[in-house]
Amino acid sequence: MTTPTAAGPAPAVSRWLFRPVPLARIAVFRVIAYLFIPIDVFLTTSWVRAHADVPTQWYRPLLIGRLLHLPTPTSTVVMVVQWALVIAAVAAASGRAPRLLGTAVFLLYAEWMVIAMSYGKVDHDRIAFLVALAVLPTIGRARFRDRRTSEAAGWAMAVVLVAVMLTYFLAAWAKIRFGGWNWPTGATLTRAVVRRGTSLSDWTLDVPYLLPAAQWLMIGFELASPLMLLVRSDRARIGLVLFLIGFHLMVFAGVGIIFLPHCIAILSILPWERLAARQRQTDPVTSSAPA
Amino acid sequence: MLLQRNRDLPADPQGLPLSATGRLVRLLATAVVLALVLAGTLWGDDDAFPFGPFRMYSTRADPNAPVVSTRTVGLTAAGEEVRLSGGEVGLRRAEFEGQLNRIEKHPELLGLLAHAFAGTHPSAPHLVSVEVVQRQFELSKGRQTGDYSDKVLVEYSLEGGNA
Repeated sequence: MTTPTAAGPAPAVSRWLFRPVPLARIAVFRVIAYLFIPIDVFLTTSWVRAHADVPTQWYRPLLIGRLLHLPTPTSTVVMVVQWALVIAAVAAASGRAPRLLGTAVFLLYAEWMVIAMSYGKVDHDRIAFLVALAVLPTIGRARFRDRRTSEAAGWAMAVVLVAVMLTYFLAAWAKIRFGGWNWPTGATLTRAVVRRGTSLSDWTLDVPYLLPAAQWLMIGFELASPLMLLVRSDRARIGLVLFLIGFHLMVFAGVGIIFLPHCIAILSILPWERLAARQRQTDPVTSSAPA
Repeated sequence: MLLQRNRDLPADPQGLPLSATGRLVRLLATAVVLALVLAGTLWGDDDAFPFGPFRMYSTRADPNAPVVSTRTVGLTAAGEEVRLSGGEVGLRRAEFEGQLNRIEKHPELLGLLAHAFAGTHPSAPHLVSVEVVQRQFELSKGRQTGDYSDKVLVEYSLEGGNA
């Protein structure tokens, strides 16, 4: 894999992983990621909080819950984790004590996910977001007006990008493993639209070959996803993000499922430092004062 | 890599480099997590979250087999259905489907839910039983025929001292 050795592709991999990234980009993305958490908890995946009311006999601990002896989510446990998580996330969004608060947010969000996924259904929409929460605290201080670049920031953004990519690439792998090589000729999307269709997608059931064609496109795109690691210029970054978010919005229109935490992780690809640079241009007094 | 920089030179006058230890720790962490994720994809299952396979919509649905949708409902004495699997008791449809085997073995789990439902919905009608019902939508060559049928998979009576 990526162990450092003198020969072979390791230096190139290492250079790619540690390519410096402006700290201003981190400062903006961190606010987005941490402020998303209260929205996620109270609004977009409020079904996690609903587990507080479920009789604990319905709790089916995951491997990680059994290994770490995590507490059974009684309504008290759920409420304590919820409020600790939301308060820590809002505090971390301020940029203060990034290592301490960031680590707390990561651990609490991970426990929140264990509470979410331990009732018979595991979702696959937040691995990249979990990776982002895990690596943000390793960067340390980052301010909006900081013009410096950092290798620590570069590594963090690189591994989030890899996690985003793997969410697609390994999804293709899973389709081949669980669905077989003939997955694209099946009725998986038909089944999805029958079960969860919307007024925007029900018509697709009546168009012959449309949904199987979409299945071919999906698996082709997923297998090609490693190409996104080559993204470099600001323009390519913006184009990639628009393409990926566009795909997720289309899925949302069709079956009402959106990989929202994953979309937040996708936003880390954008060159947010340009926002800060623009602000500097209009504000000459502070233009030469990196924090 | 488009731009190959000599690492012995200062990369960027305003750049913050990592120490050798900082790099090594990060490389090792990357390798370990990557190995776990790949192992999860190869051999793991959902139980291995967060390292399990990314299996969203990964199973192949047979174009000629019916599409199945499960609902859990409470029944009133008059036979009316009160939906329980749309978040009313804090569980989603997919969570009922994921625990279907367990519900079949332990139907008393449904009794616990009905009890919890009555507690959080004091104005809801009195329930006499809980059912898990599977609706099958017929498919032919991947297209809906418009026919469907309902099948009761599990039935649990709430009346009279059941355990």
